[in-house]
Order: sequence, then structure tokens, then C-alpha cells
Amino acid sequence: MNKTVLNIIRFVALVLLQVLVINHIRLGGYVHPYIYMIFIMLLPFSMPKWQILVLGFVTGLTIDLFTGTPGLHAGATTLMAFCRPSIISLISGNQKFENIYEPNLSQLDGMWFFRYVLCLVLIHHFALFFLESFSIHLIGQVLLRILLSVPVSVFLIMMILYIFKTEKRRE
Amino acid sequence: MYNLRRFILKHHFVILFILLEVISILLLANSQRFHRNRLVNTTNDVVGKIYEWGSEVGNYFRLNTTNEQLAEENAMLRQQLSVVYDTTTCTYDITQGDTLYKYIPAQVVNNSTNQANNYIIINKGRKDGVERDMSVISSDGIVGVVIDVSRNYASIMSLLHSESVVGVRFKNNQEIAGVKWETNNYRYGMVEDIPTHIVLQKGDTVLTSSHSHIFPEDLMVGTVEEFYPTAVDALSKAKIRYATDFATLRHVYVIKDLHKPELDSLKAKLQ
Repeated sequence: MNKTVLNIIRFVALVLLQVLVINHIRLGGYVHPYIYMIFIMLLPFSMPKWQILVLGFVTGLTIDLFTGTPGLHAGATTLMAFCRPSIISLISGNQKFENIYEPNLSQLDGMWFFRYVLCLVLIHHFALFFLESFSIHLIGQVLLRILLSVPVSVFLIMMILYIFKTEKRRE
Repeated sequence: MYNLRRFILKHHFVILFILLEVISILLLANSQRFHRNRLVNTTNDVVGKIYEWGSEVGNYFRLNTTNEQLAEENAMLRQQLSVVYDTTTCTYDITQGDTLYKYIPAQVVNNSTNQANNYIIINKGRKDGVERDMSVISSDGIVGVVIDVSRNYASIMSLLHSESVVGVRFKNNQEIAGVKWETNNYRYGMVEDIPTHIVLQKGDTVLTSSHSHIFPEDLMVGTVEEFYPTAVDALSKAKIRYATDFATLRHVYVIKDLHKPELDSLKAKLQ
């Protein structure tokens, strides 16, 4: 399948999954998992950095339209997209991805992927919950939210990635 | 000029990042005004439609509970009707008295309880007579205020909103106060302006007051969950348990106040 079409389908599916299902998960009021960032995580390695940045902004803004919080998810996801190149080089060291098109579980090992997802989710959630609280919550509450939400988000993201792993064949 | 171009080309990634972040923060800072903007109105119908598809699927799983709730409400309304039942002619005389309010039934298509500012989207809009600033209730208690209307949908500022304040009255002692949201639990609100001579008990009923210009008088808000008397401050606090369960909210009524234009024109004259 054409890679662009695949990415568009992925975008629509993830946004719908986030706003129609995941946003309705209620676990004690402090746990707010987010999974729509998978779209940014799985963009091709060769894609220009500025395009990833713009796509991050657009993805966040789409979620914002549904939650009625203009700028909140856009800001957090843009920061995550900005950090993506540095995180990739930080956790892979000398490893090169010349013949790998995009991050995927069949060509990269699970541990690499787990660290990749964990770092990006941490950045995204930190930005998101601090932007959201701005003047409403206390610092302690925000940190508690981050501490409780990050593991759930990472778990859900890894689960989704493993479920769809088999669909991609080695190139 | 050449240097500037070279600078921008060299640092385009960082510059674009800062630009997008600034846009995000500006949007966020203006979000209250943004919500009243027309830009949202055009997209509201699209967002509403998508949420409606989603909730249609979910509705099947809740049919049982919904049926029970509606049956209970039916029974209650029937009981109220018995007051106006005329035994001599065997008819319901509902023309007696002045009708102040019109109720528009609606279904919730999207609702959140876990944000700092929660909004509800319902499937009735301008074409059904819903207007901005109308109050919204459920069969259990008050829900919120309409803040934006598109053709087929309306957004409601839920009680679970950092800026929501409702004028209330304690049923026992007629004392007037204001209820705010606690911001982390969708079941509880807070009253922070109770004079010290007032003592409340757990379970005391809280109703809307006539001083609230949004909600009609005497609607159920909730019950007192915990009372915190103070000796130092001049004002005591109380935790209120909302009568409406926002997590399972499906059917609501938008209240159209038929006397509102009259009241508004009177108020305008006073100013």
C-alpha cells in the first residue's frame, strides 16, 4: 500500500480512537491516557524535520477541535515532534537506519522501541499537563497526573503497536 | 538581507518550532474568547456529527439503564400531573397558571469529566430553538449553560468548568451562596461563602436561587456532603455532591425562559 495513504488512514484511525474511546476512560480522575501521538512516532526516518513539526501541530490541533481546548494538544505535540530527532539519535547511539523506512517493531528491537515511546510520551505529557494547569492546579497535582498517566499511555501505545505489528512484512 | 535569509534557512527548524509554540500558547490564552468565535461554529457541525456516530454505538449498550431512568421520570411526572387532574371531567387541566418555561429534550453526543474545563455537546441546535445562555438540566439536577450554538448542535459549559459559578440556596435556612467546581472530582462542588452563623448538616438540599439569572429558581443542585465550619475566617465552606451524575449523562433538557426578553429589556432600562 502507498505509504502516504497508510499514514492518512493511521491519522484518522488514531484521532477517532482517541476522541471516541480513550478520552472516555476514567480511572480515578488523575489518569488521562493519550495515544494519538503514535502517528508522529511512526513517521518515516527520512522525512524532513520541519514537516514532522508541522504534522505534530496539525495532529494536536485536530484533537483540540474535539476537546474544545485550542492550542493545548497542539503545543504539547509540537514540542514532542521537535524533540523526536534528538531522542532518536540519543537512544540509538551508533545504530543507523539507512535501510529502515519508518520506526517499526519488526525491524527494531522491543527495548529500543520501549525507550523511544517512553521518552516521547514523557515529553508530551509534561508539556500537556503543565499547559493545561497554567493557573488552575497545584504543582503536586500536575506531577501526580503525569506520574499516573505516563505508564498507562506507554502501555496502551505499546499494546497498539504490538497488535498491528504482524501486518507489516520485512522489506 | 542576505545574512538574514541565510540565518532563517540555517535555523528554520528552531524558528518554525518557536512560531508554532507561540501560536499554540496564544490560542490557549484566548480559548475563552475563541470558543465564542465563528470559526468554531463552522466546524462544530462536523465534530458534532462524528461524536454522534460514536455515541450511537455506545447507546445500544446503555439501553437498559436509559429505559429505567426514563420510566422513573415518567412516573414522577405522572404524579405531578395528578395535581391538575380534574376528577369531574376526567381531563388534565394544564392550561391553569402561567407557563414560564419551555423544555427542549436533547441527547448528549459528547461529554467529558476529566478536563480542567469540561464541555458537553448535545444534538439540538439553532433549528430546534436552542440559544446561547439557556440553562440545561437533567432529570436529576442542573447540568450547565449553553455557550455556543450551531445549526444542529450546541456546546454546553458543564458545571465541571473552572469558571462555573452557580447561585444557590440552602433549602433549610434560605441562605444564599455560590457553588464552584473542585476541579478534580466530577462528583463534588464547593461552596466557600457561608456566613459563620449558618450550620449545615450532611444531606442538606441545595437548590438554585432566584438570584441566579441563568437557572430557573428551585432546581436541584445537590446535597451537602461535608461541612467545614471556621472560627478564624468570616466564612465557612461546604462540599456539595452534585445531584447530576456527569459520567453517565445521556438525556438532558434545555430550558427556554419565555419571560427572558421581557426581563432583559427591563434590566437594560435600569442601566
